[in-house]
Amino acid sequence: MTAAATPFGDAPAARYGFGLLVVLLYVFLLAPLVTIVGASFTSGMLIEFPPRGFSLQWYGQFFQRDNLVAALLVSLRVGLITAVVTSIMAMMAALAGQAMAGKLGGWFQIGMVLPLLVPELLTGVGLLFFLYKIGLGRSLLGLQIGHILMSFPYAYVSISAALRQVPPSLGEASSSLGATGWQTFRLVTLPLVRPGLVMGAIFAFINSFDLYTMSLLLKPVGGTTLPLALFDFLTYEFKPTAAAAATLSILLALVGVALVQRLVGLQRAF
Amino acid sequence: MATVEVKNLRKQYRNVVALDGVSLEARAGQMVTLLGPSGCGKSTTLRCLAGFLEPDGGDVRIDGESILSIPSNRRGFGVVFQNYALFPHMTVAENVGYGLKLRKCAKSEIHARVVEVLRLVRLTGLEDRLPREISGGQQQRVALARALVLKPRLLLLDEPLANLDARLRDEVRWLVRDLQQQSGITAFYVTHDQSEAMAISDMVAVMKAGRVAQFASPREIYQRPAERYVANFTGEANILTCRTAVPAGETRMRVGVGGADLEVDCAPAARTAGDVELLLRPEALRLAGPDDTAAFRGIVTKCAFLGASQHCEIELPDGNILKLAAPPNARVVPGESAGVVIDCTHAWAMPKVPA
Ligand SMILES: Nc1ncnc2c1ncn2[C@@H]1O[C@H](COP(=O)(O)OP(=O)(O)OP(=O)(O)O)[C@@H](O)[C@H]1O
Ligand SMILES: [Mg+2]
Repeated sequence: MTAAATPFGDAPAARYGFGLLVVLLYVFLLAPLVTIVGASFTSGMLIEFPPRGFSLQWYGQFFQRDNLVAALLVSLRVGLITAVVTSIMAMMAALAGQAMAGKLGGWFQIGMVLPLLVPELLTGVGLLFFLYKIGLGRSLLGLQIGHILMSFPYAYVSISAALRQVPPSLGEASSSLGATGWQTFRLVTLPLVRPGLVMGAIFAFINSFDLYTMSLLLKPVGGTTLPLALFDFLTYEFKPTAAAAATLSILLALVGVALVQRLVGLQRAF
Repeated sequence: MATVEVKNLRKQYRNVVALDGVSLEARAGQMVTLLGPSGCGKSTTLRCLAGFLEPDGGDVRIDGESILSIPSNRRGFGVVFQNYALFPHMTVAENVGYGLKLRKCAKSEIHARVVEVLRLVRLTGLEDRLPREISGGQQQRVALARALVLKPRLLLLDEPLANLDARLRDEVRWLVRDLQQQSGITAFYVTHDQSEAMAISDMVAVMKAGRVAQFASPREIYQRPAERYVANFTGEANILTCRTAVPAGETRMRVGVGGADLEVDCAPAARTAGDVELLLRPEALRLAGPDDTAAFRGIVTKCAFLGASQHCEIELPDGNILKLAAPPNARVVPGESAGVVIDCTHAWAMPKVPA
């Protein structure tokens, strides 16, 4: 017996019903994106959908706004550093978590994803007080720390899931063949968790690029990130420039996803 | 070639005593099998030898020197795992060449040695396949090649055939034994299959709950087991409780059992034991014909026709039950009386040890 084509069975009604459900789900997920991307190409003066005519003028407008471009550059830089630092930290934490036996390991796991479980606002306020205490209040470094903190759990979950797929006997085999711990990590563990590592780094980047509350609390004096700048912008002028900026962000995320596809797809082992 | 001594090895996991004083030794070039039921501590012993696990007490010596302080990557032992543990992202050749690469051998030398060892395990031509592109039996032979190519001082195999089907198991088993004998590598082999253990080893350690119940040659383990546990684990066995037992000479006893009085060989400990049991392997028993003088007479309680033989159970006057194979056309009828001839050279008295 083969599995039914849909969870509701094979009858034509079930097939059409299921198809409809899938379409609705996609509409629900994609409608905001389609709207915003569409609106960015309007030749009119307002954010509206369907767009009026076609033009790229709002992209031009975006790049002429120095404050928006500066914010984009801050976001990109913070996001990239977050991705790199977070994935290295998460890799180490995942290795440590795996080495812990039994209950301790479970608590460690929960500790590592704590930033997901505590409201961002509370974490942000607490971190702000702490950063002021150590002289990093409202500095770029402080913002960077906040982003790393909030993105860490995503990278950790992705990497530790990948690490759990690697049987411990591989490490033992490698050791018995003469490898040091570092050689085993470099030649066996790392290649096998690489897809999870790349995925984790990209999640961390996208999460950082998106952070609002944390950035609002920690943003350095005289600097800002793209989501904050866009919100400010929209408060005063409801122009399609914002839609163009949003479209650029979406493009960036797509590039990230494509990158995962490519890197993960190239892995021989998976 | 190495001599290995395992002395009084102990290991406890939080509340489980996994090893309760294991002592063994392997002379140079010997294959020593650890045999026992699940959970008796076979893998734990092997992992202590490999250096994956640190024992709580005891010692492991190779050629007289303790190796416990040497980390696993500098012991120079080959390890073969039940699940093969091949590196999934490396080809067969890369897997086999892994240890050589770590030792910074020249590319050409690695290639030559990999080709040579793959020929030994009959895998020539599969160099560029990934582990998931070859069969289980081939994977296990790659694992064997990967360990052997480094010419290890000691080879450790933990149920290497457990994941293979019966036919492959037979084939790889002989390959393991041939390669081990040709190269003269000392080896420890873990299994819970008694026929596998008997067939390929020089010495067998039958393990029981973290201890070695008996450490001897396969023949001795089978024919002269130290106790019931060993006898049961190493093959089919009739074990009868003796009513009387008195020493008769250096290594012999007179035992009263099943209405008969027999003189048999005995385990040394049986001579002083309170209770004695008599082991009769199937080859010691024969259904008595009309002209035979039967040692035992009893009532047939069960008889099943198996084709080449009949399986019979006979209850003796003292309540002991004998299981034996009768010729296919012998007249055996449940409820009737039957005689059994025994060959006392295959009988063995052992002390009764509380389970
Ligand atoms: N990591 C561990 N933590 C706690 N107890 C363990 C651990 N590993 C093994 N044990 C226990 O130690 C005992 C011996 O285990 P071991 O793995 O050596 O058995 P084994 O003889 O190899 O059995 P099998 O034939 O099932 O592989 C068992 O009771 C087992 O439950
Ligand atoms: Mg085991």
